[in-house]
Amino acid sequence: MSKLHLPKITFWQTVVAIIFMAGAYAAFSRFALGFQQSTHLTDAQPWGLWVGLGTLCGVGLSAGGFAIAAAVYLLGFERYRQVVRAAVLLSFLGYLSVIVGMMYELGLPWRIWHPIVMWNRHSVLFEVSWCVMLYTSVLAFEFSPSLIEKIPLPRLRKLYLRLHHHLLIALVLVGAILSSLHQSFLGGLYLLAKGKLDPLWYSSYLPTLFYLSAVPAGLAATLMAVFLCNRSLKTRVDPAILSEMSQIIAPLLYLYALLRFTDIVTHGVAGYLFQWREETLLFWVEIGLFVIAPVALLSRARVRNSPQALYGTCSMVVMGFMANRLNVSITAFQTTSGVYYVPKWTEFALSLATVTAAAVAFHYAVRYLDILPRTVPEPTWTANDPATA
Amino acid sequence: MGRTKAILIDITKCIGCKSCEAACKQIHGFPPESNGELSPTTLTVVEQHAIGQSEDRFVRRLCMNCQDPACASACLVGALKKTDLGPVTYEASKCIGCRYCIVACPFSVPRYEWSKLAPTVKKCDMCYARQAKGQQPACVEACPVQASISGWRDELLEEAQRRILADSKYVKHIYGSEEVGGTSVFFLSDVPFEKLGFKLVPAQAMPILTANALGDIPTVVLVGGGLLAGLYWITNRRKLVAQAEGVDIAQVTGEKESHHV
Repeated sequence: MSKLHLPKITFWQTVVAIIFMAGAYAAFSRFALGFQQSTHLTDAQPWGLWVGLGTLCGVGLSAGGFAIAAAVYLLGFERYRQVVRAAVLLSFLGYLSVIVGMMYELGLPWRIWHPIVMWNRHSVLFEVSWCVMLYTSVLAFEFSPSLIEKIPLPRLRKLYLRLHHHLLIALVLVGAILSSLHQSFLGGLYLLAKGKLDPLWYSSYLPTLFYLSAVPAGLAATLMAVFLCNRSLKTRVDPAILSEMSQIIAPLLYLYALLRFTDIVTHGVAGYLFQWREETLLFWVEIGLFVIAPVALLSRARVRNSPQALYGTCSMVVMGFMANRLNVSITAFQTTSGVYYVPKWTEFALSLATVTAAAVAFHYAVRYLDILPRTVPEPTWTANDPATA
Repeated sequence: MGRTKAILIDITKCIGCKSCEAACKQIHGFPPESNGELSPTTLTVVEQHAIGQSEDRFVRRLCMNCQDPACASACLVGALKKTDLGPVTYEASKCIGCRYCIVACPFSVPRYEWSKLAPTVKKCDMCYARQAKGQQPACVEACPVQASISGWRDELLEEAQRRILADSKYVKHIYGSEEVGGTSVFFLSDVPFEKLGFKLVPAQAMPILTANALGDIPTVVLVGGGLLAGLYWITNRRKLVAQAEGVDIAQVTGEKESHHV
């Protein structure tokens, strides 16, 4: 008797399917019913989860691509060449998810092209939109060889890769500058919220603080992605490289904390650090996760030399970073606006579905393209390995 | 900027009849209902504030039409604009719905049509279309007691100053003369402004806050670009020297064998 071979449905496939179904309903409610039905946004809280999580965290956590590309191609850190493709891919998918997020965050998304022809050079958001457009194009170009080299047309392949080689250095340099500009200008957006934003977050150094926090957070996110690939996708990145990356993250976190606290003291708002308020509590949660715990952990060789422990530490950095962006964009407004915003479930669902789509795309790209060094032969389309679901 | 138009609102004269509200709704074709707050169909509203036991003051809320508006500097497509005549106008056909103007407004005035499928921003523009034709704003024209008057900004400031000097009941401040670098809507009051729900806003014009950051762009591009290019030159030079000396580049940089580009 012959046995029917159906592909096994794994746990993660089920989770992803549920997330996509919830996201599909949320997208329906956003576009067919409008903001009022799909969000808890109000005039007092006009930017919510889709900006705080989708845009601010999405762009910030995608900072690893420019940082590692610049380190490898411009500064000669050849050791990191192993992970540069993964870092660029992660950033590229991160920016694509931000752009997809814009399609439901904007009230009139079919006019998303307007900033290309309608200019206001006094607007920080105008600069951000141009930087994001240009940098996403740079990332697409940086990533393109991974796809092009799979095209079975040797001459076209060779021609393209030669062109790519000639332009790469210049574009990595341009990408680093574009990234530095818009990573900081995302913080610059909130300079206009003077008097609305809680004193523990409002600062004239918001652009610098956003930049200095995005780089270590982006590196931590890249490290996490590489760890997961090593664990589940049979890639073979030298664990020593992850350990070295973590040694860059720690000093960057120090630098950030130094500026953050100096800034709080010189702005004369240090008193808020020790008041019994919700904001102060959230501030310490943010600083504890983003700086204090990771710096303490990374100072131990045992943590640095254990990929699992590094993964855990980096997830703290990422969570602390997300806490910071959500504090700036949501909780730091609550006292002055008098409105306690809690996102509606459809807001969570749509954000989660967007991030999940990026993660699924990353998964398949690592499986079927040459993104990271490998140990085993490439899986075939009929492969049925629960670990790679 | 030449002479600009403004509105002067004397809180001591307002009787709370809400004729301004009704006139505003009528001219825009909005439904007459109001929940007592600014909304996409209520661009000006009369708020009642209790002072002591039996006394009330009526305060109109509307867009302040700032001289150097935060919203106009925030708007990435330039849909919001400070006109030469004074009003801050909104061109709905440009708007992409990012809502940064609502985040940026120090007075929390702009309203968004959250319930619509193609939502736009709504706010008072001091009846720009009417004023351009030499008419008064609808709310001013409707005011039966001249609590709201309109005219040239400099003349209204002088008038406000005159009233303050002539009568000691007034608070010695024209709200809007200096707030966020000056607005086009002024208030006079005999009760401290903070007791009437007026916001304590920064004295400086808001766009300066971001102009400084934007001014750093050329520095970032030149210094950052120069630095990175210089570092690349050094990196590349080291490789070339190593190659010329016949040393394996992998030994110099510690590069491991890799199939990557």
